[in-house]
Amino acid sequence: MGRSIIVNMAESCARVVVAEDDVLLREGLASLLGEAGFDIVGRYGTHTELMAHVLQLNPDLVIVDIRMPPTHTTEGLDAARTIRQELPDTAILVLSGHVQVEQATELLRGGQRMGYLLKDRVSDVDDFLSTLDRIIKGASVVDPALVQELLDARRVEDPLQPLSPREREVLALMAEGLSNAGIARRLWLAEGTIEKHVRSILTKLGIAEAAENHRRVLAVLTFLGNN
Amino acid sequence: MVTRLSDRFAEELAALRRVATLVARAAPPEEVFAAVAEEAGRLLGAHHSWMTRYDPDGAAKLVATWSSTGAAVPAGTRLRPGGRNVYTLVFETGRPVRIDGSTDATGLVVDPACEVAYGAAVGVPVSVDGRLWGVMVVASPQGEPLPVDSEAWLAGFTELVATAIASSRARVELRWFAEEQAALRRVATLVARAAPPEEVFAAVAEEAGRLLGAHHSWMTRYDPDGAAKLVATWSSTGAAVPAGTRLRPGGRNVYTLVFETGRPARIDGSTGTSGPDCEVASELGVRAAVGVPVSAAGRLWGAVVVSSTQGEPLPEGTEARLAGFTELAATAIANAEAQAELAASRARLMATADATRRRIERDLHDGAQQHLVSLALQLRAVQRAAPSGAGELVRQLDGLATALIEVLEELREIAHGLHPAKLAERGLRNALKALARRSAVPVRLDVRVEGRLAEPVETTAYYVVAEALTNAAKHAHATVAEVRVAVGEGVLHVRVRDDGSGGADVTRGSGLTGLKDRAEALGGRLALHSPPGEGTTVQVQLPVEQARPTAVGAADPGAAHCPQAVPR
Repeated sequence: MGRSIIVNMAESCARVVVAEDDVLLREGLASLLGEAGFDIVGRYGTHTELMAHVLQLNPDLVIVDIRMPPTHTTEGLDAARTIRQELPDTAILVLSGHVQVEQATELLRGGQRMGYLLKDRVSDVDDFLSTLDRIIKGASVVDPALVQELLDARRVEDPLQPLSPREREVLALMAEGLSNAGIARRLWLAEGTIEKHVRSILTKLGIAEAAENHRRVLAVLTFLGNN
Repeated sequence: MVTRLSDRFAEELAALRRVATLVARAAPPEEVFAAVAEEAGRLLGAHHSWMTRYDPDGAAKLVATWSSTGAAVPAGTRLRPGGRNVYTLVFETGRPVRIDGSTDATGLVVDPACEVAYGAAVGVPVSVDGRLWGVMVVASPQGEPLPVDSEAWLAGFTELVATAIASSRARVELRWFAEEQAALRRVATLVARAAPPEEVFAAVAEEAGRLLGAHHSWMTRYDPDGAAKLVATWSSTGAAVPAGTRLRPGGRNVYTLVFETGRPARIDGSTGTSGPDCEVASELGVRAAVGVPVSAAGRLWGAVVVSSTQGEPLPEGTEARLAGFTELAATAIANAEAQAELAASRARLMATADATRRRIERDLHDGAQQHLVSLALQLRAVQRAAPSGAGELVRQLDGLATALIEVLEELREIAHGLHPAKLAERGLRNALKALARRSAVPVRLDVRVEGRLAEPVETTAYYVVAEALTNAAKHAHATVAEVRVAVGEGVLHVRVRDDGSGGADVTRGSGLTGLKDRAEALGGRLALHSPPGEGTTVQVQLPVEQARPTAVGAADPGAAHCPQAVPR
């Protein structure tokens, strides 16, 4: 099954820049992506190196580690912000050792083609490659662990109380960035059914409907982060 | 004649008994003096009688007078020394003296104070504790000689007078001693319960001032150049110089003398004071002052000064009495310095521990975690490269990769527990939000903190909330917790309250003990209220302004000498 996706990716031939300070991980990632048919046009170990080249390269996708030299704090977020401003069509995936809702919403505010994942996800190769594919095609993706943490939070007055178990499932997938069609495929349900669920959820939670998918993700995440 | 003698004897006994009764019931000395003057005058048929007290130069002050005619010289009159008269002769000889008008020139018996001539006068010394204190004099007009045994009769009275003076003196001394002890005890109590030095200094100034009957008193702290800063002031009139005033070095004044000699100093009379800041003294009308040094850790720290606006010198022994207070002040200073050093050292230890935790967290994050991810990637690569037909091998590799990811998750939890990266990156509010989300007990969170606080303050507040929420879930089985965090008047207030079983005790080796130490190291406090069955409330107050934590090995060399807790 893994092989089939790799073949699919080769056809897309997307131009990718990888920025990761751990050399083993950087090379491992590059070789994985190379095998999958991506065109690795740049590999960098620091924020400075990345920013020195990325604008010129104008890649389809930038994969960037959030913590990099010099300060090992949030260089990846700064890079994502600048790249989004200068190259609005470039997809950006930020990898992090741990996930924070504030960082996710900050990234998603930058618009579509944004991803925010735990680093561990790269080892689930098929899933990872299909996620990259979705981001490049315009989706916004949020790590399921973060969504789960937000959904699992015990609340004094739980605003999610009125949701049915199925609606909770749908809400989680909405927060991860799946489109209605994507959710339908994942849950083996008709897209029309998902549409009904989504409308019901948004009404119950008082979230305005959004035309674009990434706005919906942002709205759901913001709701979960604030409640 | 026999009858007359025995009558007089009975009269004298009655008179002595009346005076003795006064002495026995501790009547004020003035009352005893007045009674003696009158009883002796009447008994000996004198026209005038008086009692005087000597100054060291032989001048005499009338302390009681009586006259058979009612025209007595007022008490308080001073008689100059010298001449040939009873009080001078008694002063010079220390023995009873009689002057007879018939044998001596009249003018010589003239009292220099009242210009009255007497036929005869008898004076008997009053001695207290072996020292000549004063004289008892009876006088009669010319032609009426005094009885021959007048000296013996008078001696009976002067002994009673001496007793009255001695016991009154003893009582005064006792009262003084008691007052001094009470004043010292009040200051010592403050020192013992580690009151802020400012409070101790203020108490020293006031208690010393009151006890010594001073008009002004103050405590100063010296700069290295001899300038002095008033750290506490007190005034009997309420017109004190404000604390914080700086007195410039130099000149002739008590604080400079103490600074120069390191010993107690005294100045009497306004003419003796000079220097750049003597106007402070003259404004207050200071005319006499005594200063005693305050030493801490073997160094001259400051001085306690009491002063008077009267021309008379401050009493002998003022220095010794002040010393009791300066010793207490020195103890308070030493305590505060030791405490400040202790707090600084605790804060350094804490900063070091925090830095270590942060470093380990970073090492895990940037090192071990990354390596594990790349290992997992390599495993996946091997898995893909496996020849077809190696299904078992592929399954085993898959299991390994999955196990690696589980290790990664564990490692992430450990790193988070060591030091929440979010706290450093996103500040207290966001870190507490995440903490509340992860809490097993639902949390009502109210955080009113704008911007960032000093790192040790944020970290301590975070750990307090984390520990309290863990306890609420694990030990108290609470169903809800409330977290309130706010900054007010330079202090961060943290309160975590739950509805659990209560009965928590900060002394019983819980995680709260370490947090209490943490709070105190930052100059804050942690209080626990946890009655059984009534839930638990943890409250912490942390000063927002923190001295920059000094890095290990780069401790501020001045820190030990200038502890924060002692005002400069």
